[in-house]
Amino acid sequence: MSEIERRALMKGATLNALAFSVGGTQMLLSPREAHAQNVAFHTLTAPQVETLEAIGEALVPGAQAAGISHFVDQQISGPPDQALLEARILNVRPPYANFYRAALGAIDRASRVKNNDRGLAQLSMSERNDFIDLMRQNKIEGWQRPPGPFVYLLLRSDAVDVVYGTVDGYAALGIPYRPHIAPSKRW
Amino acid sequence: MAQQEKVDVVIVGCGASGSLFASVLAKAGKKVVLLESGPDWQLSDLISSDFWGRRIKPAGVPFVFEGKNPYGYAYQAGWGVGGAALHYFANFPRYLPNDFKVKTEHNRGLDWPINYSDLAPYYDKVAQEIGISGDAQAEEIWRPKGQPYPMPPMKTFRNGQVWLKGLESVGIRMIPQPVGMNSVEFKGRAACIYDGWCHVGCPTGALANPVVTYLADARKAGAEVRALSTVTRVLTNEAGDKVTGVEYFDSKKERQVQEASVVVLAAWAAQNPRLMLNSASDKHAKGLANSSGLLGKYMMAHYASATWALFDEDVEPHMGTVGGQYMSYDRYDKTSKKGAFGSTYILAGSAFKTSDLSGFANARIDLFGQRLADFMQRAKRGITRLTAFGEEMPNIENRIELADGKDEYGMPLAKIVHSFDQDAVALWNANFEEGLTIAKAAGASEFWSARGNQPTIHLFGGTIMGTEAGNSITDSYGQTHEIGNLWIAGPGLFPTEGASNPTYTIFAVSQRGAEQLVSRWAAVAG
Repeated sequence: MSEIERRALMKGATLNALAFSVGGTQMLLSPREAHAQNVAFHTLTAPQVETLEAIGEALVPGAQAAGISHFVDQQISGPPDQALLEARILNVRPPYANFYRAALGAIDRASRVKNNDRGLAQLSMSERNDFIDLMRQNKIEGWQRPPGPFVYLLLRSDAVDVVYGTVDGYAALGIPYRPHIAPSKRW
Repeated sequence: MAQQEKVDVVIVGCGASGSLFASVLAKAGKKVVLLESGPDWQLSDLISSDFWGRRIKPAGVPFVFEGKNPYGYAYQAGWGVGGAALHYFANFPRYLPNDFKVKTEHNRGLDWPINYSDLAPYYDKVAQEIGISGDAQAEEIWRPKGQPYPMPPMKTFRNGQVWLKGLESVGIRMIPQPVGMNSVEFKGRAACIYDGWCHVGCPTGALANPVVTYLADARKAGAEVRALSTVTRVLTNEAGDKVTGVEYFDSKKERQVQEASVVVLAAWAAQNPRLMLNSASDKHAKGLANSSGLLGKYMMAHYASATWALFDEDVEPHMGTVGGQYMSYDRYDKTSKKGAFGSTYILAGSAFKTSDLSGFANARIDLFGQRLADFMQRAKRGITRLTAFGEEMPNIENRIELADGKDEYGMPLAKIVHSFDQDAVALWNANFEEGLTIAKAAGASEFWSARGNQPTIHLFGGTIMGTEAGNSITDSYGQTHEIGNLWIAGPGLFPTEGASNPTYTIFAVSQRGAEQLVSRWAAVAG
């Protein structure tokens, strides 16, 4: 991509949507659109996506369709100083991909130990809820870093961002968004 | 390495205090360069969105955090012009007379080397300069008389009004919150439209962030801002009795030297001591201006006891300003709570959005899944919060020091060690108890304390002011005791932290310091 194209995309990203690579072309999409179009992931692996979508949906209903995995993947694939993640404001040291790899790995390992080698995505929603409730209270034996309550806080925040923090999310709740400068995409 | 043309003053940091110093000095005809590690934000960058708003905070800070109550640094910090004041809530309470002589009056903490009366004229000056909305006369039940504010109080909303009955029931008087916002048009800047996006940066000019106030004035007077320029050392002469400028890395990550007659460090309470410690030389083996060994010591933070409540009526949680609509000093005496010590400052009525740390999705952080979805439906109309800020006493063990590891410029990271003492914990708990009493009396249908880890809010100390080099780093103006042309600005100067929001006091202290620097220019810079 030329510098001019990159700058144009950056400007777009500054104003509204995120830049995703679709078939080798950079496109500005909302995470919801990227999810719907099944855009390829850049940094997260398929098992990590599966875990993130499973826990995201359990944390905040609607997070999977709202594109939590595409949001996180796009954010951890770019420069940290442009990241919109809550990790940024909670003293997580970049690169943020390291945190997500560690967090999703810890979830997967703990789930398999507790549930006869079943990852979180293979659990029923009730089982996922039980797992999350223990994780947020730091009560899972053998849990490895990062701390379970911190993982809960950050992944829950990501899910809240994509479901409730968008213009669409406000509309769904029936709260007037009232922007001074609006994100031009309603995701 | 490139050597830049020598200037009168180089200011490190473009936040609240740096911008004010730049404005005063540039208007006095000094050639001023400001070095800012982040971007040169424009108002058009300030998108009304919790997650887009995170871009104006740092990504990856050069600190490690230790202690029982580690600092929540990045959430409160700034990155880019305006600094933390680009996203501050612009609550503008003053410190009160009892904040300045805690040691003398209680044999606790430290004294400031000045009194309230020394700062009072500068509070008034700042109010007229950048605009404050409020009712100064109403505040005079707690403080000495001063000038009226230039604008009437802001509008209030039901999310603030619903608390008044409960507060009155425990004898707490509430008055309009003074804010650095425009209730009416002021000096060509628009009036606030109460959309509740203050915390992600106000692009309308209604909120007095430095980009539309002091920094704009400084630029008009000829000050130069160099964004994406990270200072790594303060340079000294061979004798070690003067600073000669700073070393920094520019936007291309190339090393530069900016010589100056005076250096003002205004890079916030943690970065200033980090820079001074990293600038150690054979003449200043423990870091600059640190013969006392107090550089980096007495770091402090506020904490909040927040009481959430759901009311059965529509309180329009999303409306208003983010800081507060009503405030009270009725619990501001240092001994107002039995078994604890320190002031409490009370705020009621804030706009709440859905996400981010302060969003109402986090009002019940324990909820997830369908229970969270159900809660969001209930909260969208009825949720509001009462906040009591508490004061901690300065403790020499709360400190910043250089640490293992280096940043991308090869500068050592710093470690911030912080723990609240028993008095702070006791005051935090006592304020929770009173919050629940108030919520019940206010008629809330549900109410609960926002407990969890005791939060750290705002940042103070590390380069405290005092009467002499043996007990402090600077004098009351911010001039270091040991190097006359090295000045410090910002909340790092505060020997105690009070309990109210600090930025108005940061501005007042900075105004006093900057005017002193101008008036003594020949002696300081010569």
